[in-house]
Amino acid sequence: MSSENLGLALKMVGVGKRYPATIAVDNVDFEVYAGEVHALVGENGAGKTTLMKMLAGSFNDYTGAIFINDKMVKLTSPSIAKSYGIGMIYQELSLAQPISIAENLLVGRLPRKGLFIDRDKMVSESKRLLKTVGLDLDPLLPIEDISQHEAQLVEIAKVLGTNPCILVMDEPTSALSQEEVERLFKIIAKLRNRGMAIVYISHHLPEVFKVADRVTVMRDAKKVATRNIGEVTREEIVHMMVGRSIKELFTKEKREVGQPRLEVKGLSRYGFFHDIDLQLHAGEILGICGLSGAGRSELAQVICGIEKADAGTVLLDGEPLDGLPMAKRVLRGLGYLSEDRKREGLALRLAMDDNILSAVIPKLKQGVVYNKRSGKPKAMQLIEELSIYPPDLDRTAGNLSGGNQQKLLLAKWMAINPKVLILDEPSRGVDVGAKMTIHETIERLAHEGNAILIISSDLPELVRLADRVIIMRKGHFTKIMDQSECSEESLLLAANTEVRV
Amino acid sequence: MNGIQKVDTRALQTNRFSKLLSSIGIYAIAALFIVLGVVLQSMGIINNFLTTQNMMNIVDAVALLGIVAVGMAFITYSGHYADLSAPTTIALTGIVSVELLRFGFIPAIMGAVVVGLIIGIINGIVIGKFKANPIIWTLAMSYVSMGVIRFVWVNKQIYPDVITDDPFPVMLFDNIYRFRFFNAISLPLIIMLVLVVVGQFILKRTAFGAQLKLTGSAKRTAKFSGINVELMIALAFIISAFTTTIAGLAITSLSRVGAYYNGAGYDFRAVTAIVIGGMTLAGGRGSIIGVLGGTLVIGLMNNIMTLLGVGTFSQDIIRGAIFILVVGINAKTLRSMGRDDA
Repeated sequence: MSSENLGLALKMVGVGKRYPATIAVDNVDFEVYAGEVHALVGENGAGKTTLMKMLAGSFNDYTGAIFINDKMVKLTSPSIAKSYGIGMIYQELSLAQPISIAENLLVGRLPRKGLFIDRDKMVSESKRLLKTVGLDLDPLLPIEDISQHEAQLVEIAKVLGTNPCILVMDEPTSALSQEEVERLFKIIAKLRNRGMAIVYISHHLPEVFKVADRVTVMRDAKKVATRNIGEVTREEIVHMMVGRSIKELFTKEKREVGQPRLEVKGLSRYGFFHDIDLQLHAGEILGICGLSGAGRSELAQVICGIEKADAGTVLLDGEPLDGLPMAKRVLRGLGYLSEDRKREGLALRLAMDDNILSAVIPKLKQGVVYNKRSGKPKAMQLIEELSIYPPDLDRTAGNLSGGNQQKLLLAKWMAINPKVLILDEPSRGVDVGAKMTIHETIERLAHEGNAILIISSDLPELVRLADRVIIMRKGHFTKIMDQSECSEESLLLAANTEVRV
Repeated sequence: MNGIQKVDTRALQTNRFSKLLSSIGIYAIAALFIVLGVVLQSMGIINNFLTTQNMMNIVDAVALLGIVAVGMAFITYSGHYADLSAPTTIALTGIVSVELLRFGFIPAIMGAVVVGLIIGIINGIVIGKFKANPIIWTLAMSYVSMGVIRFVWVNKQIYPDVITDDPFPVMLFDNIYRFRFFNAISLPLIIMLVLVVVGQFILKRTAFGAQLKLTGSAKRTAKFSGINVELMIALAFIISAFTTTIAGLAITSLSRVGAYYNGAGYDFRAVTAIVIGGMTLAGGRGSIIGVLGGTLVIGLMNNIMTLLGVGTFSQDIIRGAIFILVVGINAKTLRSMGRDDA
């Protein structure tokens, strides 16, 4: 598949980047052929992103040499990198929300007619670019009016518009549902066949096997190895990433399922979901599977009181919660871990203890005094339980790696002494080690008699954790599947099936 | 679990450094200004810096500004920048109190407080609940208040001793600013110090303060943690309007006249004091103790500039430049730490 005859598009020889306190990339050799999809994997903090930032021209003090099409180049600024045909697609979108798709796509190179913008040309050029990623949208729509996965594809189209010869994609699928991922892969294959060199950064190994020709593994700022994808197994890659083998525990211990803790009856929020019934028992892990836009997060937000219900009722341990604000529901032991950890989950500018205790401020009140100190032992204990690194309560949350931030978010909701936890994408975009810790913790919580509702686009996660999985499609529950029926394939199939049961 | 992890500690160091600088550093700067005053005096460039009278002038000016700044700091802390309606709130509450002096001292005070709270509640609801832009909205509010003053009092200035023939309430009103314990400590100073202590306590030691911090640092996260962010923001504006009302009474007592121009300039001076006192415009940072330090620096700087004979307009230019400098450094520090929300 890889067309080595097209020659090396990128060659990095002995490159390194050092921060005052740490070495982020240490003497790494990295080669990508034209017409190749080259996956770059590693745990958070392994140095993948720094390596790619180097390529994007973010540093002017890197060491080593970079060759593009056999020419040695000095990539000391983003504009230099761009001029050598390097295109970057980051995890976080760089689109301006209120302005149109067309203006975002053609930013900095809008077609002009004299003093004015050539509107017709702008629209036609945008349509052409959108077509390359399989989108058929009105280019004059503002970005805020399109869905997140469409925005992700627009981002890709924007970079393609600069005609890159080397394209770097950093976790491009983290916001996409399975269906959309497939579409993206088709686009990637097309680009590769055109001779583009593609670097694909991902945590998600099944994707890597599906899309990549070769894979390079990084660990602790160093390169471990580069392999052809056909000559390596998933277990080997995981082993190289973490430096030890992970025994994937599929033997689930049977938990005692007790009384219903959370009951939802006829719950609706018009336009998002309709007539939802749900029973969640003590000790049970219930999964909700569905494509993005199926109404899963909206359902969770109504259950926990962030948004108001239009009809129906929610009971916690038999007591109705209707009309109670979220704060009161949290006090009764209902927690909601939201999917967007940076905007909705954590206060990145604040210290770890402020974050862990942010949902229990009313609980730590003694008279009028907020006794933060009394919450610290609990916070420290959670940090140890979840092995959050570094175990320093005064550390600013924004300085933690993605995996540790996600564990911090879980710690925040464990601090409320939950009875029912709703976890919305609990392990999105985190490394293998953090994911394992999170999964083990969720299982332990269920084992202790808590009821867990997991909303996830990560099918292996649902297969691994859930006792039952509810399929949600277009605002309705369409199917309930028992653990024995659940596999990645059956869930995917069910999520894409129109039939209503 | 995760083996060796490498953590970038640069941001942390900057953070600790800026924390230290923002809490203690501002008092060092205040001390430097005092030294500067003394040096200038010993060189014969200015007279009368180190006199009891001048020190009392500084303290009195700091007290008035401090009363406004302590309240407004809650708004900055909540991530909503400032209350630009502060000057007209000072003017309106002042003129209302003078008008009501005809019914006695207590009704005058109560009337001013009620008017101030109404302004605070409207600001709080519109900005907290309806998410209006705080700068634009409080600017609009200041025009409305000014309109009310001009409409009701038709550009008139009103004097306490003209409003009522009873000398007793007039005497009490005059003494809001002029009363001094032991012939030295003024009532506004006492009020300011009490507000600083209470304000610091509320901000740092109460659940409201902790929730306001989270609201100011990450509003959406606060909402998703069960915090009633609308209420938190509304309370911040109400607190600001309340202390501004107190300042309004003191300033009107000082000038012995209720007029639309009372309080002019207090909005910008208060924000400058807040920002150089280490409370960043991004919200969720800083302390009331720092704001007091910032107020002190502004007071000393104004005093020295006046003694040097710097004109009012030139003083405005210098204050503006300092404000821009501080906000600029602030934003740069935050960005270098990888935060774009400065």
